[in-house]
Amino acid sequence: MAKKLNVQFKKGVLELCVLVLLDKRDRYGYELVQKISDRIEISEGSVYPLLRRLTKEEYFTTYLKESTEGPSRKYYKLTEKGREYLNDLVNEWREFSNAVNQLIKEGVNSD
Amino acid sequence: MTKDEFLNKLNEALRGLSLNERQDILQDYQEHFVIGLEEGKTEAEIAERLGSPNSIAKELLASYHIERVEQSFTAGNIIRAIWAVIGLGFFNLIIVLGPFIAIVGVICTLWVASLGFTLAPLLVIFDFLVHTGTFEFFNLFVSIGLCGLGILLGLGMFFVTKVFTKGFIRYLKFNVSLVRGGLKHE
Repeated sequence: MAKKLNVQFKKGVLELCVLVLLDKRDRYGYELVQKISDRIEISEGSVYPLLRRLTKEEYFTTYLKESTEGPSRKYYKLTEKGREYLNDLVNEWREFSNAVNQLIKEGVNSD
Repeated sequence: MTKDEFLNKLNEALRGLSLNERQDILQDYQEHFVIGLEEGKTEAEIAERLGSPNSIAKELLASYHIERVEQSFTAGNIIRAIWAVIGLGFFNLIIVLGPFIAIVGVICTLWVASLGFTLAPLLVIFDFLVHTGTFEFFNLFVSIGLCGLGILLGLGMFFVTKVFTKGFIRYLKFNVSLVRGGLKHE
């Protein structure tokens, strides 16, 4: 999807994607990376710095959990603070994307 | 690139971080490789998809140095933080360093003005001592007025400087969260 969308743009949205994915349940890093990269073209390595930053901002906590296969995995869990931040971002995103969609519609129709 | 090559390169690029911090970061990528291999991907594939270790390191370093500035606001720390954020891309040289120099310039100027005003009475006394007999009350009163103004300006600048440093740290963070730092193979 959307190769031409510029990097700044995608990077800003990446934060929203990670938060949304953690809304319903805790996930480990690899899982988050795969979920996102299935749909959006990213360099996967950049998700981990983002996870660290958001953890330091206290939007997540982390814990280790044994997996049936192989070594234990680091899970990320959304905090209350993180959930509030997520809600703000989602609202902002909706407003923004509605506005852009509207403009696109009008633009396409007028041609 | 193999897993070991990737991790070594990343480790190398993260020099400057504490050992603890570095191990913690490498652990995340280690885990990523292990799970990827379990899913039947090759090391080269996984490394390819992760992107360049250098650009990953740049972003981590920038976050780290900003954190340091927040903990202790020293000249050394702020310079390292600015430098690290600039490292995220050439473009940042203009949008990070430009505003910083401009605002620091204005703040310094106002501080100097405040100091000058505050010291004005000393100048009048100095003038009196050098050219004896030219003493004028007008000069003295004006200088005392300036002194008061200087002190007020100084107090104001104290707050302005504080607000500016806070704001600038936020600006640096904003840059890290938005500017480049390696989404899809530069």
